[in-house]
Amino acid sequence: MGPTAYIARRLAYGVILLIGVLVLNFFLIHAAPGDPAETIAGAMGGATARMLADIRSAYGLDKPLLTQLAIYLGRVAHGDLGMSYYFNQPVIDLIAARVGPTILLVLAAQVIAITAGVAMGVFAARKPSGPLSAFVAVLSTVGYAAPVFWTGIMLVILFASIIPIFPVEGMTSARFSGGFVAHIGDVLYHLALPAFTLAIIFLAQYSRLSRASMIDVLGADYVRTARAKGLSETKVVFKHALRNAVLPIITVAGIQFGNLISGALLVESVFNWPGMGRLAFDSVLRRDYPTLLGILFFAALMVVVANLLTDLSYRFADPRIRTGGR
Amino acid sequence: MNVGTPEPLLSIRGLKVEFSTRHGKVTALDGIDLDLMPGETLGVVGESGCGKSITALATMGLIPDPPGRIAGGHVLFDGEDITRADPRRLRSLRGADISMIFQEPMTSLNPVFTAGDQIAEAIMLHQSAGKAEADRMAVELLRTVGIPEPERRSRSYPHELSGGMRQRVMIAMAISCRPRILIADEPTTALDVTVQAQIFDLMRDIQRQFSVAIMLITHDMGAIAEMADRVAVMYAGRIVEKGTADEILDHPLHPYTRGLIGCIPVLGKEAGEEGRMPPLAEIPGIVPPLHLLGRGCAFADRCPLAFDRCRAESPALEGGAHKVACFAAEMEAA
Repeated sequence: MGPTAYIARRLAYGVILLIGVLVLNFFLIHAAPGDPAETIAGAMGGATARMLADIRSAYGLDKPLLTQLAIYLGRVAHGDLGMSYYFNQPVIDLIAARVGPTILLVLAAQVIAITAGVAMGVFAARKPSGPLSAFVAVLSTVGYAAPVFWTGIMLVILFASIIPIFPVEGMTSARFSGGFVAHIGDVLYHLALPAFTLAIIFLAQYSRLSRASMIDVLGADYVRTARAKGLSETKVVFKHALRNAVLPIITVAGIQFGNLISGALLVESVFNWPGMGRLAFDSVLRRDYPTLLGILFFAALMVVVANLLTDLSYRFADPRIRTGGR
Repeated sequence: MNVGTPEPLLSIRGLKVEFSTRHGKVTALDGIDLDLMPGETLGVVGESGCGKSITALATMGLIPDPPGRIAGGHVLFDGEDITRADPRRLRSLRGADISMIFQEPMTSLNPVFTAGDQIAEAIMLHQSAGKAEADRMAVELLRTVGIPEPERRSRSYPHELSGGMRQRVMIAMAISCRPRILIADEPTTALDVTVQAQIFDLMRDIQRQFSVAIMLITHDMGAIAEMADRVAVMYAGRIVEKGTADEILDHPLHPYTRGLIGCIPVLGKEAGEEGRMPPLAEIPGIVPPLHLLGRGCAFADRCPLAFDRCRAESPALEGGAHKVACFAAEMEAA
């Protein structure tokens, strides 16, 4: 199958998956206890039964559930995620203002986790019983065991009071003046701690996985062939072995994207990062259904896109997948 | 060089290799002596675990260390002791002067690089050729080893090639820098019989064309009969018999060698009474684990001729051109 046909098929699967996510989320949220009309009224300072009925009809909440679903799906198809009950603004605008920082955080964490994890795994694999191997084992245990909000709070304490070298809150400095490049520097400076916090748990996994994968590959016949050719050890390890050892990392990195996004929502709360996480949290408390549905839809969309990109990079990295071989 | 008595190209003297295992230290090679003359084919034969592959890896300087270690002896290539060469010198020999093809063509090529790239890599490394030049030479080499449509095949990945073709690619890679020694470790074991014959033909052609000395490592006496000029028979880390291929095949002295030759199926042998072929011969027992070797001859427990002395002391490799390490053979000769 050519790459175009392949991408087309994968996109079609992605659309079907997203529709499924929309329908499931819609029912899940309507099954949750609580009446959004009362929440809206509560935010306005209380209401009579008549006002509640008006709110219900204004938001279409008085219609049968299936009709509400049909209306919702129809709107989403036109790019309309509805109005937030709380902000009284289009949900799409609320998300658009926050999706950028979330994507930035997720990608930064993924890059840190993969680069550092693979590097540690490779060096640990060179000496499977050496000190770095032991460190990778300890790190992966700690990394698995420590929840991100705990790690985040510990880092906040460390960098806020003990060694205050990194900002622990927000995405930009409050009183910032400078050019565009300086602004990017400022954002990256603020990004350091949240990205590292989010990366730790995945870094632990990738280092452990790449250590195992690398040990496996270093024993392979083709690595012996590479040595028999007279290649330097650096070339043997980083060209012949690593190209094969990263294949399982790509697979796992794709699967982990969903976890990374849900982890990002927590990390955003700890570091007050202006992403979708805070909005998601508040929307749950406010029973702001349209906003919550919108956020869940966007999270699913990011996962679908990430998985598609993973598959494409896997095809790029492994010729056996590309040409449909054994 | 004196033409009358040529110097050996490769000379292994008293080579001893040890491995640390969970049973403690075991001696995988115990005092191996081998000579490889320019342009000849030396067959090294024996069952799995007898040390043939370790001999090959030691010659390439590729004994995995740890757990392995060269505990004694020398490997002289053209007079230079490669057991004492530094890693840089070893790398410049490997793939250039001494190259190797392996048993498993299915797994010996890197699955993520094309056949052409893997051949060109060796050329660029040892012959300081540019990428385009090396690619062109790789295609020529694929043509030399008899791969049809070499231009297209050089862009194929290993999984797109058959086992026989992959072994041809391995051979092309091994001869890419005109080595003086080609070590072939069970080059045909994983291939089917017709392909085996083709690969042997190819190796003979290569030997004529490039006047390369071949060390053919195999457990197959048939392959030895087809290819080898001289033969060394190995058992449990030692050489038990050594001589010209004709002598060894026609007049084997060691009971183990006789056993191996007895294992060659003979075409056209009389069918038995029930119309069946006679059962294939086998040597009873298995090669003893190296950590359980006693003082005596390692083959004594499987040997039909063994007597008390065989279990008490280990026979030395003795004789003229045709050497054997066996007390029973000595008595027979006396």
